[in-house]
Amino acid sequence: MAQSSTARKLDDAPQRAVLRPTFGGGNPPRPPVRPNAPFANNAWLAVLMFLGAEGMFFAGLIGAYLVFRIGSQVWPPPFQPRLPTALTAANTMILLASAVTMRLGLRANRRGDRPLLIRLLSWTAVAGAVFLLIQGYEWLQLLHFGLTVSSSVYGGLFYTIIGFHAAHVFGALIWLVVVWLKARRGRYTKESYVGLQICAMYWTFVVALWPLLYGLVYLY
Amino acid sequence: MPLNMNRKIFSTSIAMGLALLAKPAALRACAVCFGDTNDPINAGFNASVLFLMATPYMVMTLIAGGLFWAYRRARKQDEQAESSEPVAPLAWNQEESGR
Repeated sequence: MAQSSTARKLDDAPQRAVLRPTFGGGNPPRPPVRPNAPFANNAWLAVLMFLGAEGMFFAGLIGAYLVFRIGSQVWPPPFQPRLPTALTAANTMILLASAVTMRLGLRANRRGDRPLLIRLLSWTAVAGAVFLLIQGYEWLQLLHFGLTVSSSVYGGLFYTIIGFHAAHVFGALIWLVVVWLKARRGRYTKESYVGLQICAMYWTFVVALWPLLYGLVYLY
Repeated sequence: MPLNMNRKIFSTSIAMGLALLAKPAALRACAVCFGDTNDPINAGFNASVLFLMATPYMVMTLIAGGLFWAYRRARKQDEQAESSEPVAPLAWNQEESGR
């Protein structure tokens, strides 16, 4: 098949810009494009395993919650303050929106749109921070109304499960701020964006976990 | 094994068997059962145990799914890269030489 131009394409990665000779009588066999290259980055694989471990950690907490929740005839126990389900529902929407902006940021980076990536990362961080602030406000209100770690099993479970999730969101937020600073310096490109990708994986994990915890602890 | 050891094992086994025969009520004891069988806490434990038994499989399925997705994406990227590779004919032709 005749080629329209034999000029090397400027955006080719060096390892792919191999000029192959043709002899007019058919093409020689093509060498592999990425010989011996792994299909998944090491960091990506490590974070995937880490998320599996985190999932098991939260499974243990959920298991403990299930024992007491299903094992109690009256839940929540009497004389304990009720949880603010409506405000937390709004907070859940904010956190879910942050996952959307994070994913859109990843897509923007794949297109090479750095300004949009930075903007979307900023929105993600703001949404995460707002989520934590609202959670903190709720906790202060609950403490004021007498729900503490030692007031009952209900209080202990609530603060343990929701507290660990909040700690994970806080850690993810710190990570996101570092990634945002690196993105501003032009660290992430279309070809090299593993740091951004693994941060997005962790963020998606903590966001996806929240509706499950909300449904279990606040609504069930 | 030395003969003394064999004799010890044999005599211990006989003693244990006789002890079990002498106390049949102990055979019905369960190491983890306690309290009232109608207690709702049993339902809580059941649900928790079933959930925790299922979770490792769910986690492993998600990890395997992630690996499969990464493999498929890498294959697709390889195919796209192969189809856009430049080809350089070695033979001289008039259009390229400009003469």
